[in-house]
Amino acid sequence: MNLSWMFGPSMEQRHLLYVYVLVWVVQGGYAAWVVWQWFRTKQEPRP
Amino acid sequence: MERSRILGSLAFAWLLLTLAMIVFATRLGLVMAPPDALQGNVGRIFYYHVPHSMLSLVWPYLNLAASIGFLYWRRRDPLKALSADALAIASAEVTLVYATICLTTGMLWGRVQWGIWWTWDARLTSMLLLWLLYVSYMMLRKFSSTGQTQTLAAVLSIFAAIDVPIVYKSIDWWRTQHPSPVFFSKDPDAGVDKSMMPAFVANIIAWAMWGILLIAIRYALERRRQALEQDAALKAIEDSLEFTR
Repeated sequence: MNLSWMFGPSMEQRHLLYVYVLVWVVQGGYAAWVVWQWFRTKQEPRP
Repeated sequence: MERSRILGSLAFAWLLLTLAMIVFATRLGLVMAPPDALQGNVGRIFYYHVPHSMLSLVWPYLNLAASIGFLYWRRRDPLKALSADALAIASAEVTLVYATICLTTGMLWGRVQWGIWWTWDARLTSMLLLWLLYVSYMMLRKFSSTGQTQTLAAVLSIFAAIDVPIVYKSIDWWRTQHPSPVFFSKDPDAGVDKSMMPAFVANIIAWAMWGILLIAIRYALERRRQALEQDAALKAIEDSLEFTR
Protein backbone atom coordinates (compact mmCIF):
# COMPACT_ATOMS: atom_id res chain seq x y z
CA MET A 1 0.00 0.00 0.00
CA ASN A 2 1.90 3.06 -1.25
CA LEU A 3 0.74 6.24 0.46
CA SER A 4 3.77 8.40 -0.33
CA TRP A 5 1.55 10.71 -2.45
CA MET A 6 -0.13 11.85 0.80
CA PHE A 7 3.08 13.30 2.23
CA GLY A 8 3.83 16.46 0.31
CA PRO A 9 4.08 20.22 0.73
CA SER A 10 0.85 21.20 -1.03
CA MET A 11 -2.16 22.28 1.00
CA GLU A 12 -4.26 19.46 -0.49
CA GLN A 13 -1.80 16.83 0.69
CA ARG A 14 -1.31 18.39 4.13
CA HIS A 15 -5.02 18.81 4.84
CA LEU A 16 -5.86 15.29 3.69
CA LEU A 17 -3.16 13.95 6.02
CA TYR A 18 -4.35 16.17 8.91
CA VAL A 19 -7.91 14.86 8.54
CA TYR A 20 -6.93 11.19 8.69
CA VAL A 21 -4.49 11.76 11.58
CA LEU A 22 -6.96 14.00 13.46
CA VAL A 23 -9.75 11.42 13.30
CA TRP A 24 -7.51 8.66 14.64
CA VAL A 25 -6.11 10.92 17.38
CA VAL A 26 -9.52 12.22 18.55
CA GLN A 27 -11.25 8.84 18.43
CA GLY A 28 -8.26 7.00 19.93
CA GLY A 29 -7.79 9.68 22.57
CA TYR A 30 -11.39 9.51 23.71
CA ALA A 31 -11.32 5.69 23.76
CA ALA A 32 -8.08 5.77 25.79
CA TRP A 33 -9.62 8.24 28.28
CA VAL A 34 -12.67 6.00 28.78
CA VAL A 35 -10.52 2.89 29.26
CA TRP A 36 -8.24 4.77 31.69
CA GLN A 37 -11.29 5.92 33.68
CA TRP A 38 -12.56 2.34 33.68
CA PHE A 39 -9.40 1.04 35.35
CA ARG A 40 -9.25 4.06 37.69
CA THR A 41 -12.79 3.45 38.89
CA LYS A 42 -12.20 0.44 41.08
CA GLN A 43 -15.14 -1.83 41.58
CA GLU A 44 -15.21 -2.99 45.19
CA PRO A 45 -16.82 -6.36 45.95
CA ARG A 46 -20.32 -5.89 47.37
CA PRO A 47 -20.98 -7.44 50.78
CA MET B 1 -19.02 -12.27 37.58
CA GLU B 2 -19.68 -14.80 34.81
CA ARG B 3 -21.93 -12.29 33.04
CA SER B 4 -19.29 -9.54 33.14
CA ARG B 5 -16.68 -11.96 31.75
CA ILE B 6 -18.94 -12.86 28.81
CA LEU B 7 -19.65 -9.16 28.14
CA GLY B 8 -15.91 -8.40 28.33
CA SER B 9 -15.12 -11.13 25.77
CA LEU B 10 -17.92 -9.87 23.53
CA ALA B 11 -16.60 -6.29 23.74
CA PHE B 12 -13.07 -7.49 22.91
CA ALA B 13 -14.30 -9.46 19.88
CA TRP B 14 -16.33 -6.42 18.74
CA LEU B 15 -13.22 -4.23 19.16
CA LEU B 16 -11.11 -6.54 16.95
CA LEU B 17 -13.84 -6.69 14.31
CA THR B 18 -14.25 -2.90 14.39
CA LEU B 19 -10.51 -2.21 14.10
CA ALA B 20 -10.30 -4.60 11.14
CA MET B 21 -13.26 -2.83 9.54
CA ILE B 22 -11.72 0.63 10.10
CA VAL B 23 -8.41 -0.46 8.51
CA PHE B 24 -10.29 -2.02 5.58
CA ALA B 25 -12.50 1.06 5.10
CA THR B 26 -9.53 3.44 5.34
CA ARG B 27 -7.66 1.40 2.74
CA LEU B 28 -10.70 1.58 0.44
CA GLY B 29 -10.86 5.36 0.89
CA LEU B 30 -7.17 6.08 0.46
CA VAL B 31 -6.07 3.44 -2.03
CA MET B 32 -8.88 1.61 -3.81
CA ALA B 33 -11.31 4.46 -4.56
CA PRO B 34 -10.35 6.69 -7.51
CA PRO B 35 -9.55 10.39 -6.97
CA ASP B 36 -12.58 12.68 -7.22
CA ALA B 37 -13.06 13.93 -10.79
CA LEU B 38 -13.33 17.59 -9.69
CA GLN B 39 -11.44 17.76 -6.40
CA GLY B 40 -8.67 15.22 -6.88
CA ASN B 41 -7.24 13.45 -3.84
CA VAL B 42 -8.54 16.03 -1.36
CA GLY B 43 -12.01 14.59 -2.04
CA ARG B 44 -10.90 11.57 0.01
CA ILE B 45 -11.53 13.72 3.11
CA PHE B 46 -15.23 12.93 2.51
CA TYR B 47 -14.71 9.24 3.32
CA TYR B 48 -14.10 10.28 6.93
CA HIS B 49 -16.08 13.54 7.05
CA VAL B 50 -19.42 12.26 5.72
CA PRO B 51 -19.73 9.13 7.97
CA HIS B 52 -18.83 11.17 11.07
CA SER B 53 -21.31 13.89 10.08
CA MET B 54 -24.10 11.38 9.46
CA LEU B 55 -23.45 9.56 12.73
CA SER B 56 -23.28 12.81 14.69
CA LEU B 57 -26.94 13.21 13.68
CA VAL B 58 -27.82 9.64 14.72
CA TRP B 59 -26.34 9.46 18.25
CA PRO B 60 -28.42 12.46 19.51
CA TYR B 61 -31.55 10.35 19.00
CA LEU B 62 -30.10 7.68 21.29
CA ASN B 63 -29.39 10.47 23.77
CA LEU B 64 -32.98 11.71 23.33
CA ALA B 65 -34.51 8.25 23.86
CA ALA B 66 -32.39 7.69 26.99
CA SER B 67 -33.26 11.16 28.32
CA ILE B 68 -36.99 10.61 27.79
CA GLY B 69 -36.56 7.23 29.51
CA PHE B 70 -34.89 8.97 32.44
CA LEU B 71 -37.66 11.58 32.71
CA TYR B 72 -40.31 8.83 32.58
CA TRP B 73 -38.69 6.52 35.14
CA ARG B 74 -37.14 9.01 37.56
CA ARG B 75 -40.15 8.81 39.91
CA ARG B 76 -41.62 5.46 38.82
CA ASP B 77 -38.48 3.28 38.82
CA PRO B 78 -35.26 5.02 39.99
CA LEU B 79 -33.05 2.04 39.09
CA LYS B 80 -34.22 2.06 35.47
CA ALA B 81 -33.83 5.85 35.48
CA LEU B 82 -30.17 5.48 36.50
CA SER B 83 -29.62 3.06 33.62
CA ALA B 84 -31.24 5.48 31.18
CA ASP B 85 -29.14 8.33 32.55
CA ALA B 86 -25.94 6.32 32.03
CA LEU B 87 -26.93 5.72 28.40
CA ALA B 88 -27.77 9.41 28.01
CA ILE B 89 -24.34 10.61 29.15
CA ALA B 90 -22.55 7.92 27.08
CA SER B 91 -24.38 8.87 23.88
CA ALA B 92 -23.95 12.61 24.56
CA GLU B 93 -20.17 12.29 24.86
CA VAL B 94 -19.91 10.21 21.70
CA THR B 95 -22.12 12.74 19.86
CA LEU B 96 -19.72 15.49 20.92
CA VAL B 97 -16.71 13.48 19.65
CA TYR B 98 -18.37 12.85 16.27
CA ALA B 99 -19.65 16.43 15.92
CA THR B 100 -16.19 17.80 16.73
CA ILE B 101 -14.67 15.63 14.00
CA CYS B 102 -17.43 16.65 11.58
CA LEU B 103 -16.72 20.37 12.10
CA THR B 104 -12.91 20.18 12.07
CA THR B 105 -12.61 17.87 9.04
CA GLY B 106 -15.15 20.07 7.24
CA MET B 107 -13.03 23.14 7.98
CA LEU B 108 -9.88 21.41 6.71
CA TRP B 109 -11.72 20.52 3.49
CA GLY B 110 -13.27 24.00 3.15
CA ARG B 111 -9.90 25.73 3.43
CA VAL B 112 -8.70 23.81 0.37
CA GLN B 113 -11.86 23.92 -1.74
CA TRP B 114 -13.39 27.28 -0.77
CA GLY B 115 -10.23 29.08 0.35
CA ILE B 116 -11.81 29.84 3.75
CA TRP B 117 -11.91 28.00 7.07
CA TRP B 118 -15.45 28.99 7.95
CA THR B 119 -18.58 30.68 6.63
CA TRP B 120 -21.92 31.36 8.33
CA ASP B 121 -23.65 28.94 6.03
CA ALA B 122 -26.94 27.36 7.21
CA ARG B 123 -25.49 23.82 7.49
CA LEU B 124 -22.30 24.91 9.23
CA THR B 125 -24.11 27.24 11.63
CA SER B 126 -26.79 24.73 12.61
CA MET B 127 -24.10 22.06 13.11
CA LEU B 128 -22.08 24.47 15.26
CA LEU B 129 -25.24 25.09 17.30
CA LEU B 130 -25.66 21.33 17.82
CA TRP B 131 -22.02 21.10 18.95
CA LEU B 132 -22.51 24.02 21.36
CA LEU B 133 -25.66 22.40 22.77
CA TYR B 134 -23.70 19.24 23.55
CA VAL B 135 -20.81 21.25 25.03
CA SER B 136 -23.44 22.93 27.27
CA TYR B 137 -24.84 19.50 28.12
CA MET B 138 -21.42 18.24 29.21
CA MET B 139 -20.67 21.42 31.19
CA LEU B 140 -24.03 21.18 32.93
CA ARG B 141 -23.31 17.58 33.93
CA LYS B 142 -19.80 18.41 35.06
CA PHE B 143 -20.30 21.64 37.01
CA SER B 144 -23.94 21.81 38.14
CA SER B 145 -24.24 21.08 41.85
CA THR B 146 -28.03 21.00 42.17
CA GLY B 147 -29.94 17.78 42.78
CA GLN B 148 -31.74 18.32 39.47
CA THR B 149 -28.70 18.07 37.17
CA GLN B 150 -29.84 14.89 35.44
CA THR B 151 -33.33 16.29 34.84
CA LEU B 152 -31.97 19.58 33.46
CA ALA B 153 -29.57 17.66 31.20
CA ALA B 154 -32.43 15.45 29.94
CA VAL B 155 -34.46 18.55 29.02
CA LEU B 156 -31.43 20.08 27.27
CA SER B 157 -31.00 16.91 25.23
CA ILE B 158 -34.58 17.37 23.93
CA PHE B 159 -33.61 20.87 22.69
CA ALA B 160 -30.49 19.40 21.05
CA ALA B 161 -32.58 16.74 19.29
CA ILE B 162 -34.82 19.48 17.84
CA ASP B 163 -31.73 20.93 16.12
CA VAL B 164 -30.89 17.60 14.41
CA PRO B 165 -33.59 17.70 11.66
CA ILE B 166 -32.76 21.39 11.11
CA VAL B 167 -29.10 20.45 10.49
CA TYR B 168 -30.17 17.63 8.18
CA LYS B 169 -32.64 19.69 6.12
CA SER B 170 -30.63 22.93 6.17
CA ILE B 171 -29.02 22.22 2.77
CA ASP B 172 -32.49 21.66 1.24
CA TRP B 173 -34.14 24.65 2.88
CA TRP B 174 -31.34 27.18 2.30
CA ARG B 175 -29.02 26.82 -0.69
CA THR B 176 -25.81 28.43 0.42
CA GLN B 177 -22.16 27.39 0.51
CA HIS B 178 -22.29 23.77 1.69
CA PRO B 179 -22.49 21.10 -1.07
CA SER B 180 -26.01 19.83 -1.81
CA PRO B 181 -27.14 16.48 -0.38
CA VAL B 182 -25.22 13.47 -1.68
CA PHE B 183 -27.37 10.72 -0.20
CA PHE B 184 -31.21 10.62 -0.21
CA SER B 185 -31.36 13.58 -2.59
CA LYS B 186 -34.25 14.37 -4.97
CA ASP B 187 -31.80 15.95 -7.42
CA PRO B 188 -31.09 13.45 -10.26
CA ASP B 189 -27.60 14.93 -10.74
CA ALA B 190 -26.67 14.49 -7.08
CA GLY B 191 -25.08 11.32 -5.75
CA VAL B 192 -21.84 9.43 -5.57
CA ASP B 193 -20.15 7.61 -8.42
CA LYS B 194 -20.47 3.82 -8.18
CA SER B 195 -16.69 3.46 -7.86
CA MET B 196 -16.77 5.50 -4.63
CA MET B 197 -19.72 3.79 -2.98
CA PRO B 198 -17.82 0.83 -1.40
CA ALA B 199 -15.48 3.26 0.41
CA PHE B 200 -18.40 5.36 1.66
CA VAL B 201 -20.47 2.39 2.83
CA ALA B 202 -17.49 0.67 4.49
CA ASN B 203 -16.56 3.84 6.37
CA ILE B 204 -20.13 4.43 7.54
CA ILE B 205 -20.31 0.83 8.85
CA ALA B 206 -16.83 0.99 10.42
CA TRP B 207 -17.39 4.27 12.27
CA ALA B 208 -20.89 3.21 13.34
CA MET B 209 -19.39 0.03 14.85
CA TRP B 210 -16.74 2.14 16.60
CA GLY B 211 -19.40 4.50 17.97
CA ILE B 212 -21.47 1.60 19.29
CA LEU B 213 -18.38 0.22 21.03
CA LEU B 214 -17.56 3.60 22.60
CA ILE B 215 -21.13 4.07 23.83
CA ALA B 216 -21.16 0.55 25.31
CA ILE B 217 -17.85 1.02 27.18
CA ARG B 218 -18.78 4.53 28.38
CA TYR B 219 -22.18 3.18 29.54
CA ALA B 220 -20.46 0.40 31.51
CA LEU B 221 -18.11 2.96 33.09
CA GLU B 222 -21.02 5.17 34.14
CA ARG B 223 -22.86 2.16 35.63
CA ARG B 224 -19.73 1.30 37.60
CA ARG B 225 -19.54 4.88 38.92
CA GLN B 226 -23.22 4.80 39.87
CA ALA B 227 -22.72 1.52 41.76
CA LEU B 228 -19.79 3.04 43.69
CA GLU B 229 -21.84 6.15 44.54
CA GLN B 230 -24.71 3.97 45.77
CA ASP B 231 -22.33 1.90 47.91
CA ALA B 232 -20.81 5.07 49.37
CA ALA B 233 -24.29 6.47 50.15
CA LEU B 234 -25.36 3.19 51.80
CA LYS B 235 -22.20 3.10 53.87
CA ALA B 236 -22.76 6.69 55.00
CA ILE B 237 -26.32 5.80 56.10
CA GLU B 238 -25.09 2.71 57.96
CA ASP B 239 -22.36 4.73 59.70
CA SER B 240 -24.82 7.42 60.76
CA LEU B 241 -27.20 4.75 62.16
CA GLU B 242 -24.37 3.26 64.20
CA PHE B 243 -23.44 6.73 65.44
CA THR B 244 -26.99 7.39 66.73
CA ARG B 245 -27.19 4.07 68.61
